[in-house]
Amino acid sequence: MTTSAPEPLLALSGVNTFYGQAQVHFDLSITVARGHIVCLLGGNASGKSTTMKIILGLVKPRSGEVSFDGASLVGLSTPQIVRRGIASVPEARRLFADMSVRENILMGAFVRNDRDAVAQDLDRMLTLFPKLGQRLSQRAGSLSGGEQQMVAMARALMSRPRMIVMDEPTMGLSPLYVDRVLELIRTINQEGVSVFMVEQNASLALEIAHEAYVLQTGKIVLSGPARALKDDPRVRDAYLGGSEAA
Amino acid sequence: MSSWLDYTINGLIVGNVYALVAVGLALIFGVSRLINFAQGSIYLVGAYIGWVAVVQLHTPLPLTIIVVAATAAVVGLIIERFGLRPLQNSVRIAPLLATIGISFVLDQLVMLTFSPNPRALPSQLPDVRFQLGGGTIGPLDLLIAGVGISSALLLFVFLRYSKLGWAVRAASQDRDAAMQMGVDVNRVNQAVFGIAAALGGVSGMLVGMYYNQIDTAMSLQATLKGVVAEVVGGAGNVPGAVIGSLLLGLVESYGVAVFGTSYRNLFAFLLLVVVLVLRPNGLFASARQAPPEPLTGTFIAPSRPVRIPRWVLAVAAAGFAVLPLFPVSFYVLQTLINAWLLGMLALSLTLVAGTMGQVSLGHAALLAIGAYTSALLSLTLNVPVGLAVIGGGLVSAALGTLLISPSFRLRGHYVSIATLAIGEIVSLVILNWESVTRGPIGISGIPPLSLFGYDLISPSSVYWFSLAVMVVLALLQGRLLTSHLGRSFRAIRDDDIAARAYGLSLNRYKSLAFIFGGFAAGVSGGIAAHLYSYINHETFNTQQSILALTVVILGGLGNVVGAIVGSVALVGLPEVFRIAAEYRILIYGIVLLLLVRFRPQGLLGTI
Ligand SMILES: Nc1ncnc2c1ncn2[C@@H]1O[C@H](COP(=O)(O)OP(=O)(O)OP(=O)(O)O)[C@@H](O)[C@H]1O
Ligand SMILES: [Mg+2]
Repeated sequence: MTTSAPEPLLALSGVNTFYGQAQVHFDLSITVARGHIVCLLGGNASGKSTTMKIILGLVKPRSGEVSFDGASLVGLSTPQIVRRGIASVPEARRLFADMSVRENILMGAFVRNDRDAVAQDLDRMLTLFPKLGQRLSQRAGSLSGGEQQMVAMARALMSRPRMIVMDEPTMGLSPLYVDRVLELIRTINQEGVSVFMVEQNASLALEIAHEAYVLQTGKIVLSGPARALKDDPRVRDAYLGGSEAA
Repeated sequence: MSSWLDYTINGLIVGNVYALVAVGLALIFGVSRLINFAQGSIYLVGAYIGWVAVVQLHTPLPLTIIVVAATAAVVGLIIERFGLRPLQNSVRIAPLLATIGISFVLDQLVMLTFSPNPRALPSQLPDVRFQLGGGTIGPLDLLIAGVGISSALLLFVFLRYSKLGWAVRAASQDRDAAMQMGVDVNRVNQAVFGIAAALGGVSGMLVGMYYNQIDTAMSLQATLKGVVAEVVGGAGNVPGAVIGSLLLGLVESYGVAVFGTSYRNLFAFLLLVVVLVLRPNGLFASARQAPPEPLTGTFIAPSRPVRIPRWVLAVAAAGFAVLPLFPVSFYVLQTLINAWLLGMLALSLTLVAGTMGQVSLGHAALLAIGAYTSALLSLTLNVPVGLAVIGGGLVSAALGTLLISPSFRLRGHYVSIATLAIGEIVSLVILNWESVTRGPIGISGIPPLSLFGYDLISPSSVYWFSLAVMVVLALLQGRLLTSHLGRSFRAIRDDDIAARAYGLSLNRYKSLAFIFGGFAAGVSGGIAAHLYSYINHETFNTQQSILALTVVILGGLGNVVGAIVGSVALVGLPEVFRIAAEYRILIYGIVLLLLVRFRPQGLLGTI
């Protein structure tokens, strides 16, 4: 089932996670090859967001290994993990609502100290997300959902990450915005950033992903190249099963 | 003669002082969602460091300010590193209790080092006053205003233009998201505690100079005023805290102008309660989201209680009941009587705070209501003492519940603040309502306990009486916990949203808990009044509220047997080890800190 890529950029293996008594992950193993877009699909409460939190060190697994670029992330704090080159677009965006759009985007460069290059990158974000140009001094909390998604993505890119993890980047967006977000993810990826994304919207996510995993109540029930999964009837089955159980 | 302009100037100056405290509280609340009850102790430390610098080291004023700010900052950093950081992953109530414990420890250390007697803190400034419109202003006023304004500017520049300042703002808006940007939240916490402590310390020093006097009672007052200002401005809102402080200063100053000095604090706490009830997120909350207070279920440590067989309890009760038949000293009986009285208060608090999840910090007010009612009933209306004590319990149940009811819609920290304020209001009303309570003179000549016409004067009869009352209350409460009502209480504590969805009326159940708790505490206060024969508005103070809370935590929140065991332990052990009175509060503070850190579920476990 594992991809035959050389050394993966990110690897989770045998991860078991608990919230108190309740087990959320059962022996979870996921790999993200360098330069790939990998998608984690699953119904509500299947443990997708928790997977993101494990990667970012916000939740600690009870057992198992998480490694990035060959080095273990276990025991590192979230800021340390971010400094290794992982940026994130959290579930529901999580902008700093009372800070301006500019400040939000610049917060993404918090781990960097090269001021001039950061300023250049800010300009680059404005070419990538032209709409944000007029909104730079606006409170981030007052933006529309789609605009907030753009800010969240720009913010993540500002750290010049090697990998971005995204939690349901298309959630709550109109079809027009969904297409733009997916297009942007592809652009980001073509510039060399690996992407790990969590999605509920399987058909759209499989359009742009290289590989995908299907999570059901904490267990990987399917995985493989996105192209193969797209035509797999079990993807639909897994979905229906997952959402009915929830 | 003082003019309105003078009162305005005074209000703004005092407001500046409050702002220095409140801004620190707001920064800390923003980042950690924690009300730092130790803030006033840092203010106290600042005042005494200032005294050492001025009086003993003869430092010039600028150096004094720097020394005070630096020392206070170090104290703040120590509190953060050793008091609070180890509690990062524990239940929400833990850091709150820890700051209370820390404040007790710091206050007592200051008191033991410098003695409780007030000291003069000279301002080192010339004593002249300039005419300004119709009022006057002195160099010290200008200094305080200058320190206030320049601190606000420095803080603004720090938050707006420095990298660490950005991190502070980001972390206070969304801690997890800030961490995902690479912000090290521990460093942010350090920065915030350091800044808050430096400002608080300088504030204490300035106040000492303003009134030319410092004493250890300053600490709690400063915490209370800072909390009022901060909540009025909107918890966690830094500019709001400044405005809230100035507003508080003015309200107090005008209140004093109209009604007199003894009303100063009453206005502060009334303002707090009004804001909490009408605008719990502060006056400027429009643009901001309510600071998320957790469900109370995550606020209190869950655990499995220790089961004690009934026969063990029965044997223990019988053992204590026959104790006076043996030749024990008066001193032992006296100590145990105190334990039984504290036990009744603890029963009340463990029900309200543990079973119901409303962590009250003003529980001594219920004692005071019961004590005054019982004393006045027996003295002025000649009601037999036994009935008067019951009357005290009933009035305390009714009045206490009524007073607390505005806070029923609050959660978590806000309940604690509201109960603290309500407790203060009760003691201030007692102080000011002279026609009934005899004001600051207090009530003396309260008749001794009596039952059916027989005076209970011998220590053993008082002992039996208080033990019997406590046991009856404990049995009733034990029944209550296993009843349907008790289960409803816990359901509301663990998840009030779900409980409401099941159709439980929160107000009704919270009222029932406070009625029962108010009765137990009122009876305890009533008995105490007849034992002491003299009470005044300070007999039942915040220290007792906190002592009761420590007892309840020690025994295990919600745990009936635990409340009694905790009372015996905290009253008895200091006697057994012959610990001098002035060290006791220090010991209680340390016990609270150790419990929170190592055994938050208490000795017998929470129920
Ligand atoms: N902090 C927490 N404490 C306790 N349980 C949690 C916590 N966070 C998540 N859970 C539980 O863990 C399970 C998985 O949650 P998770 O957020 O990972 O699901 P998800 O797949 O992202 O769902 P969704 O599609 O709804 O976002 C759920 O049952 C959830 O209730
Ligand atoms: Mg999720």
